[in-house]
Order: sequence, then structure tokens, then C-alpha cells
Amino acid sequence: MRTRGIKAAILAATLLVTVPLWAGPARVGTPYKIGFIASITGPGASLGKPERDVARLMQERLNREGGIVGTDGVRHEVQILINDDQSRADTAASLARRLIEQEQVHVLVAGTLSGPSLAMVPIATELRTPMISMASARAIIEDPETKRMRPWIFKPVPENLHSAAKQAEYLKAIGITGVCHLYENTAYGKDTFESAKVEFGKVGIRILYGDSFDRFATEFPQVTRVRASGCKAVVIGSIPPAAAVINVAVAGRVGLRKIVHGHGACSPDLIRTAGAAAEGTVMPCGKILVADQLPATDPVRRVNLELIQEYTRITGGDPISTFAGHAYDALQWALLALREVPDGLPLARVREAVREALEGKIKNYVGTHGVMTLSPEDHLGFNPKDFVIVTVRGGRFVILPREQWK
Amino acid sequence: MRKGSPDTWAFAGAVGVVLLLGWLELRRPGGVSIARISGGLLTIDLLIRAGIFTIILVGLNLLMGYAGQVSLGQAAFYGMGAYFSAILTVKAAVLGISPAVARAWWWPWFVMGGAAVLVGVFSFLIGWVILRLRGHYLAMATLGLGIMVYIVLRENLGIPQLNLTGGFDGIVDIPRLHLGAFALWPESRYYFLVWAVALATIVLGLNVVHSPVGRALRAIHGSEAAAESVGIVVPLLKAQIFALSASLASLAGSLYAHFQAAVVPDTFGFVPSLELVVMSAIGGMASIWGAPLGVLAVLLIQELLRTHVLGLIPAVTAEMEPVIFGALLVLIMMFWPGGLVSSRRRRPVWGER
Amino acid sequence: MSEQGLQTTTGDRGILLRPTRASLQRFGRQAALVAVIVLVGLFLVGMGHRVGYGAADYLQLLVDGLQIGAVYALVALGFVVVYRVTGVINFAQGAFVMLGPMLTITLFGSLSGSPVFRLVVSALGAVLFVAAVGMAIHRLTLHPARKASALTRIIITVGVYISVQGIALIAWGPRPYVLPAFTTLQMVDRLVEVGSIIIQAQTFWIWGVAVAMLVLLALFFERTVVGKAMRACAVNRIAAQLMGIRVDRMATLAFGLAAVLGAVAGIVLSPATRPTYDMGLELGLKGFVAAIMGGLVSFPGAVVGGIALGILESLWGGVTLAGFKDLFAFLMLILSLLFWPQGILAGKGEGGS
Repeated sequence: MRTRGIKAAILAATLLVTVPLWAGPARVGTPYKIGFIASITGPGASLGKPERDVARLMQERLNREGGIVGTDGVRHEVQILINDDQSRADTAASLARRLIEQEQVHVLVAGTLSGPSLAMVPIATELRTPMISMASARAIIEDPETKRMRPWIFKPVPENLHSAAKQAEYLKAIGITGVCHLYENTAYGKDTFESAKVEFGKVGIRILYGDSFDRFATEFPQVTRVRASGCKAVVIGSIPPAAAVINVAVAGRVGLRKIVHGHGACSPDLIRTAGAAAEGTVMPCGKILVADQLPATDPVRRVNLELIQEYTRITGGDPISTFAGHAYDALQWALLALREVPDGLPLARVREAVREALEGKIKNYVGTHGVMTLSPEDHLGFNPKDFVIVTVRGGRFVILPREQWK
Repeated sequence: MRKGSPDTWAFAGAVGVVLLLGWLELRRPGGVSIARISGGLLTIDLLIRAGIFTIILVGLNLLMGYAGQVSLGQAAFYGMGAYFSAILTVKAAVLGISPAVARAWWWPWFVMGGAAVLVGVFSFLIGWVILRLRGHYLAMATLGLGIMVYIVLRENLGIPQLNLTGGFDGIVDIPRLHLGAFALWPESRYYFLVWAVALATIVLGLNVVHSPVGRALRAIHGSEAAAESVGIVVPLLKAQIFALSASLASLAGSLYAHFQAAVVPDTFGFVPSLELVVMSAIGGMASIWGAPLGVLAVLLIQELLRTHVLGLIPAVTAEMEPVIFGALLVLIMMFWPGGLVSSRRRRPVWGER
Repeated sequence: MSEQGLQTTTGDRGILLRPTRASLQRFGRQAALVAVIVLVGLFLVGMGHRVGYGAADYLQLLVDGLQIGAVYALVALGFVVVYRVTGVINFAQGAFVMLGPMLTITLFGSLSGSPVFRLVVSALGAVLFVAAVGMAIHRLTLHPARKASALTRIIITVGVYISVQGIALIAWGPRPYVLPAFTTLQMVDRLVEVGSIIIQAQTFWIWGVAVAMLVLLALFFERTVVGKAMRACAVNRIAAQLMGIRVDRMATLAFGLAAVLGAVAGIVLSPATRPTYDMGLELGLKGFVAAIMGGLVSFPGAVVGGIALGILESLWGGVTLAGFKDLFAFLMLILSLLFWPQGILAGKGEGGS
């Protein structure tokens, strides 16, 4: 008995020593660098801060797992270099150039806002470095003149066109043919209006009155015009806090008209700062916001719940936002693409290989906003069906299934 | 510039430094680049931005430090130059300019020069009206002008159908500059162009300062009534110097547009205008040499904070940068109230006599 | 020489007129003024007619403008208080406007007791704290630099603003906060209907508090020794010093007073908006514009300037595209500067003397 015990102990010890050698990859390859640029300060801070927190979370995860293991079995350390563009286009451009030329990053995950993202587009393109933006404007991935994809630029962020299509579907279903559209006077707000004009027009919904309002406005003369126009629903294109302020103003003054937000309002800040006025408002949102209500069969559910758990831990209790989700998807794409790169390539070749992998190997990626597939013709890969219509009920976001649209 | 004067020596030194840095970047002898020897602090990108800002600041210093007229809207002229170049190269087709002309190598240069002239004429007319105001009132009028130009750029010039300025998103894919078939790109080539213009601007500034015009400007700064009494046509001279500074800002804007290849309106709003005044004050506005030094001081502080200081301390995050930058600004102005290059005779500006 | 008072500055801003042409020019200016007012009025009415406005709609826009205008007026008064005593335009004024509500909200959340008690205590506590911050800023930064030029000191206040806003971002993060409405003590305010006009209950609080602050300010300057001493500093610093008034202490006090005005403005406004760490820039800028419109040295002028700005913005925003709202505000500003170079209430207020 005793000798057998000793033998077992020796065997166990041998196994303990040798198994890690078998399981661990034979080689450790070149460390990878991801250049991460977000708007951590300035007007974009409420978007950029959650993105930065996710970058930290991912770095922690990578350190814990010892980096990534490529498809060729080689292990690579990954370093995420976090930078702040102060919500400014010129700073973003300088940072992008510095990260590509001085820090020699393999891929950029860069741009919280459309302006800074667009300013980095020519630099990433010219210096042949793949860039994944976290902003929404179509022009980031597609040349507006030629309508062709920009080969080096990607983004996992749905656009206002998708959001407007979903809004139109909802409005049509509840029998509304004329709406008012109020949008904050920012890049995001303007784009919601332009998108609404396109998508609402397709299903015959007319915009009876549309105007912008100032991000810092406290009084809304526009509401006077909404009352005069006789529209049955008010579509708001805005991000909290402005979205909350105008929501309160419209709800109080225009009476029982339907309020429909864009996906920029899909943030716990809307409920926190609009209170009772937000009750009953409707908006198309990414699934991340209502992950716990998704059916267990939805693959997106598990990814989001894991992310939310880690995110709340690392931020000390911040509620999840869609922007955190965008940063997560962008970084995951970068990591997935880096896994496909064979070890030992020179820097320029690694960048090319990452670009090719992003175009060719991101298939049925299960992300925070849906299941996405990239191709040379589509650097976004978002399926508008993945947007869910959400309403505010009892101070929380609740999925509004199609049967309950009324 | 007189032969053998301190300015001549300083200029020779500046040319030397510019050529040395440019040669290092272009040739990289033994793999040594300027970024490498400066520990990553000095990059070609930073030097090009410094050159562009220097062009604006020489004009601003002439206007503020010598003529005593404060401008809180200088970024507007910078923006006008940038947008002229961007629109007339990228959106030439929308404006009905034949592709044969718009694709010619000389077209962007022509636009750049034309923009500087147009902005000069525009600001001359505006200046003729608003330069009657003084002190805070002039500052406020220029601030208002700056914000108005910014709004017009942001709101698509009021004609959204044409989408000329691209609204909030601005204009992307602005072409690089060429001389015939010779591309002034990559950055190491563009650097020489920007600094050639910047150094020429410095020579221009120094010549203005040492000419009878410079003396007339200082006379205006001292007392407009006295200046008038010795035969200086005060409104004309003030409008001229305002137009010169605006033209230089426009030129810098065009160079910026072809450098970044993208322009967005936020780069030319109120805060950037304020930053130009801050750079001018840090460098010393009553001095032409204050221009490049103020620019370099501010850019280097920002770069140092961003890439060196903040990275070293793990607990310190990006949010600390504005706090430290603001505090440094306060300290610099407390200890060098006249700027880094203080003139011997302090010339008070803005609301002081 | 270094800091200067009211008399020299007011003398500084006149339009330089030749005596022989003075009367002719005055007539021309008045004719132009009437023409501009008529044109703007016609434009507003015409645009309003186009979208089917009736009298009630205009009244609604007027009320809306009066609400934000009262806030601009309070902020503008802060600029005037500081400028009169120190000759500095205090760009940190916006920081006070932001700190007031942010601190109130934090205190409100940490106190226990009835909501009314919590609101009153936290608002008072916040105002006192911001006043202390204002005085500390003067003592630590502007007082040591009192010999520097006005522009240098103005740039110091810019640095202070950048730092304070940066600290606020670290302390409160970028997310918006809520201060309950004073009437309902909830997030959603009660709406009062007067005929077809709808007014938020908070608007009455804003008007009430603004009037109360004006009365208190008037009493302070007319009836208290300190207030009178402060006025003396504003009129002539050197004479005041000779009379035994500690001018530097008055300057510190002026900063405290300006901080109180800014904080109160921010606090009464915040239930109608959702405070964020960066709300100070916009409100500070608008307050500055209002103060300049009023002549920068006149308290009544600042109030009229604030209200005029608020109403003009609201009317313009109501009849045409809101994106151009600020364009119109600044156009009016430049015109008002040209027509009333001494401020809207020139010759009527205290500062016009």
C-alpha cells in the first residue's frame, strides 16, 4: 500500500512538472502591440471612459491568460497601449502617427468619436496599418465619393441607418405616418436626422417637423413647433444628458405622444437623468443593454453577461454601456485577427496579415451587439435584425417583443 | 534684418537646426532618427505641427505684441485656409471645376495662394470695421467672429444640399502636395516645405518689425491719437496688419489640410483660438522669436505629459493631463509673465496702458 | 501702472472720432442702428410667419429666453465684479458655474433628512465652498502675479479653468447628474400653464433667485462698508489705497463674490438641465458675452446684456434652424459692440461715468 502510494506520488509529481510543458506551446513568439486611442477627456469622455475601462479589462484578461496563442500554436504576449485624444481630431491624428511609427503597433483600435476617427483614416491607410474604429459614421469605413470600402479600416459599431430602419419598422407597425424629429446639434444627432429621412421615407413615414437643439439647451422653443405640427410621435436623436433633458421637456409639454429615441440613448444614464419622463419611451438598442433578458439560446447572452460581470468589477460598479460593448468587439476583432498571423513575419507583413484576417477570418463572430461576419465588401458585418426594440418600464430597460408593439 | 544683428545670428541658428533635424530624419545615418535620440519626444509629426503653428503665431505676435490688437478668433482664419484647400481639391467636381485642372499638380498651390489672398481681403474689410474697437471689446468681437466662422463651417455654409464642408464630419482624403512629379511626401519631405514657409514668415516678421511700419505699429500701441498726429493712418495700418496675420493663418491652414489629409470644424473653434493666444503669451508676444519658442514649449509639454510622465506612474491616468497642463500654464505665466522671450521694454497689451 | 481701475478703461474704448465729423457720424450710426433693428425684427416676424407662429408662440419663446437670460445675467455679474476690482476677465468663472451644482448634488446625496432640508443645506454648503475656492484661486495664482499684464493674468485664469475642469472630471466622471427640481423635489418638474404658455416651475425659482441676488448685491455695494470700499477700488485703485483700503483683500473678496454668483447661477439652473463636468465652458462664454454687451463695468448693463442675449437666442432658435443660434447671438454681439461701444446702458449705469 505504502509503496503504491509513493509511486503514485512520484507519478503525480512527474506529471505536474511535465504536463505544463506539453500543454504550453513550444515557442513564445514576438509580442504584439495594440494601439488604443479613445476620447477619455473632452466632450466625448462619457463614451471614451467606458471604452478605456474595457481596454484595461482586456489587458488584465490577457495578462492572466499569458497573451494569445496563434493558430500556429505560438504564444504571443499582447500589450494594449492606451491613449487619450482629448476628443480632438488633430491630437488623434498625431497619436495615430506616433503609435504606428514610434511604437510600431501591429493594429490600431482607435477613435471614440467620428471626427477623430476620420482624421486617423488617411494616416492608417497611408502607413498601411489596420485600424478598428469605435465610432459610428459610415464614412469611416466607406469612401463617401466612390462608395468603396476603405481597405485598412473596420468598425464593429452599428450605424444610424440601421437604427432608423428599426425605428421605421416599429412606427409603421403601430400605425404612425407622420413624426417630428428633434436631434442634438452634434455629429451623432445630425446623422440620426439624415438617416431618418432616408429610412422613414422608404416606408412612407413623413417627417412633419425636424430641427436640432443645442447640447446644453435648457429651454426648447422647438417644442412649440412640435405642438403646432400635429405629429403623433416624436423621434429624438440624442445622447444623455441632452437626450434626458429634451425627453423631459417633450414628455411634459406635448402630452401623450409616443417618444422614440435613437440607439445613442441606450444608456442607463437616460433612466437615471430623465426619471419618470423616460417611462414608456421606445428605442432600438444593441443586445448588450438587455443581455439578462435574452433567451438562453441566444449566443450573445453569455458573452455579454461575462463582460458585464468583469466590467462592473473593474469600474467599481459602473453600469454597462453600449460604448463599452463597441470597445470590447473592436479589441476582440484585433485579437482574433492577430491569432491568425503566422509567427516571425516582419512588422509590415504582420499588419497586412492582420488586415487580411479581419476581412477573411471574422466569420459569425459572437459579439456584444450580435453575430457579425466581415468580408472585403463589408467592414462592419452588422445585421440590423440584431437590434432589439426596448422600452423603459419600472425604471429599467425591457425588451419589447413584436407582439407588444402598439 | 541687418547684417550681424542678433536676429541674423538667431536666424542662421534656426536654419541650421531645421536643416540638421530634417537631414537626420531624411537620411537616418546609422538608423539614428530624431525620435530615437530624443527618447521618443521629438517626432517629425510634432516638428511639422510646430512649423504650422509658428506661421500663425508670427502673424498673431505682430498683431498682438506689436500693434497691441488682441485677436481671440485667429483659428477662424486658420480654418478658412484649411477648408478652402480641402473643398477646392476634394470637392472640385461638385463646384464644376474640370478634373483636368483639379488634378493638376499646381492646383493645390494655386488654391493655397488664392485662399491666403481672399482671407486677407476678407479680414481687411472686417478689420476696417471692428478694429475701431479696443481692448476687451476688440477681443470680444474677434471671438464672436471666430465662433461665427466655425458655425458656418460646421453648418455646411448654410447649403446642406451641396455638403461642401461635410458638416461635423469634415472632409477626408485631401491630396498631398506635389512639385511637378515630385511628391512632397512622406512627412520628412513635407517637413522641409512647412519649415521653409515658417522661416520665411519669421524673416517677414523681423523685417516688418525693423521697418518704418514696425515703428508705426509701436506708435499705435503707445497712443493712437499721437500716432495719428504724426501722420500715421491708424485704421488703415491696423487693418493691414490684421489682414497680414489672417493671410498667414490661412496659409498655415492650407498646409495643415494637406498634412493631416482630413479637416473637421472642431479644430478651428473657440478653444483652439484661445490656445493660440496661450502659445503666444508663453513664448512672449512682443517678439518674433517668441512664436516658435512658445509653440515648441506648449507642444513639448503636452507631448512630455502624454508620452512620458503619465505612462510612468501607473495610478495616474489620462484624466490627469488637463489638470497638470492647466497648473503648468498658471505657473509659467506666474514666473515668466512676459513669456519666455521677454522684450526689454514691457509693452502692456489688452486693457492696459 | 500694473492693475488699473475703471476710469482709464472706460476712456479706452471709445470710437476714435474726428470732432468735426462727430455729429455727422453719430447721425449715421443712429440711422444704421434703426435700420438694423427694423431688419432683424422683420426677419424674425417673417420667418415666424412662415412656420405659422401666433402671438402666443412668440410669448413662449420670450419666456424661454428670459429663463436662460436670467442665468446668463448672474454669470455676467460675476465677470463684472471681478473686472471692476482687478481689471481681469476671469475665464475661471465657468468653473464656479459648474462646481456649484456638482457639489450640491454630491452633498445632497450624502445628507440625510427631509429633502427640503438636504437641498437647502447642500446648496448653501456648496455656495460657501465655491466662494472659498474662488478666494483661494485669487490668493494662490492672481495675487502673486498682480504685477503682470492684464493678458498674462487672463491667461492664468484660463489655466485655472483647465485644471479645475480636469479635477472635476476625475472627481465626478463624465456622466451627467441630476439635481431635483426645487418645487417638486423630484427629477421631473411641475409645469405651469398660463393661457397657452407653458412654464417650468423651476423658471420661477430662477427669476426669484436672480432678483434676490440683485437686491443683495445692491445692498452690499450701497449699504456695507466693505461694499463701498470695493466700489472705491473699482473707481480708482490708487486713491482707494491712499484711503487705507486693502486693495488686494478687496480683489480676493471680489473673486469670492464672483464665485458665489456663478455657483448660485449653476445651482438654480441645474434642475432644468443635467449637470456635467464640462458645463462651465458654454455658460461661462455666454456670461462673458452678456457682460461685454453690458459694458463690462456696469451691473445693470450685465443684467440687460444677459437677458437680451437669452431672448435673442430663443427667438432666433424658435423661428429658424437652431444650429445657427449662436451665429446670430454673436452677430448681434458684434453689432451691439459697434453701436454701443460703451455697453448697452452707456451713461446710465454706474460704469458709464
